[in-house]
Amino acid sequence: MNKWVLVALVILCWALTASLMAGYYYYQYSDLSSKVKEAVFTANLGINYGNGSAISWFNGTKISAGSTLLDFTKLVASANYTDSLGGASINAIDGVPNFNPKYWLWWSYSSFGWTLGSVACNRYVVGENETLLWYLQDTSTYPPPSP
Amino acid sequence: MKTVKIAIIAIFCALTLGTDYALAGVPNVKLMDLIVFIGGFLFGPIVGSSIGIFSWFIYGSINPNGSPDPRIWVATMLAESVYGIVGGLLGKALVSTNFSSQRLRLSVLFATMGFLPTVLYDLITNTVYASVFGQPVIVAIFAGALFAVVHEGANFLIFGILSVPTIAALRKVVKG
Repeated sequence: MNKWVLVALVILCWALTASLMAGYYYYQYSDLSSKVKEAVFTANLGINYGNGSAISWFNGTKISAGSTLLDFTKLVASANYTDSLGGASINAIDGVPNFNPKYWLWWSYSSFGWTLGSVACNRYVVGENETLLWYLQDTSTYPPPSP
Repeated sequence: MKTVKIAIIAIFCALTLGTDYALAGVPNVKLMDLIVFIGGFLFGPIVGSSIGIFSWFIYGSINPNGSPDPRIWVATMLAESVYGIVGGLLGKALVSTNFSSQRLRLSVLFATMGFLPTVLYDLITNTVYASVFGQPVIVAIFAGALFAVVHEGANFLIFGILSVPTIAALRKVVKG
């Protein structure tokens, strides 16, 4: 009996299990998010225009559960963005555009300090009481220094 | 020969039912599938599928969890026969295989042969369940995926651990 046939069969079993579990968790997620979409909580968003002026904070803003950072941003400011397969990228906030080497980056605050956002703003779901920051930041050194 | 086959089917059905009722409190973990598979492996796909169909015919009519919808019941009977057919085909393919010389490889093969027909079984029963209760098929499959994975994982282990020693022992009995 060829051992590679057996290995292929075991991998097939694993792939089927993983696919079923992925489908299961997707279903659970969809079911749960449809049940809580009416829920409202508060979160905080700051906007640093990178020009030395004070950061505009929108603390305690009420948002719907499941809202993304882009949804949150559009609630408190005007956002110009380009949507693509990879997600939305911000072109300008409140009319202040990206201009090389300064680009709009977002940060999330936790007990570990500030963390640079690693996904597109329309792919990041905001948590309850979470603090987020848009920062028009010089990216000539990357990663840029935390706020 | 016909009488012998009927006797074999009756004995294997009694075995599946005895283990099913004993394990009634453990959802989705049963020895029934293995016994149907072994019946097919040793005595051919017709005997194997008959064991599956008759076992579910009785277990579905006298079921501790209540009788199922007739359409689901029929689907379950037919889906259970898959184990007997797979066992029968595999039995023919491995008829001259020496079990004592490659136990580990055979155990892995039987584990996967327990898993894959269970995926088919769960797909058939979930699809029929969805059509009976007017649910989208994809929702029924994924909503029940956790139970399906428990069923498939349990069969992977049960088939992998028990098939080789049981078949080796029964081969000796059958050969006399």
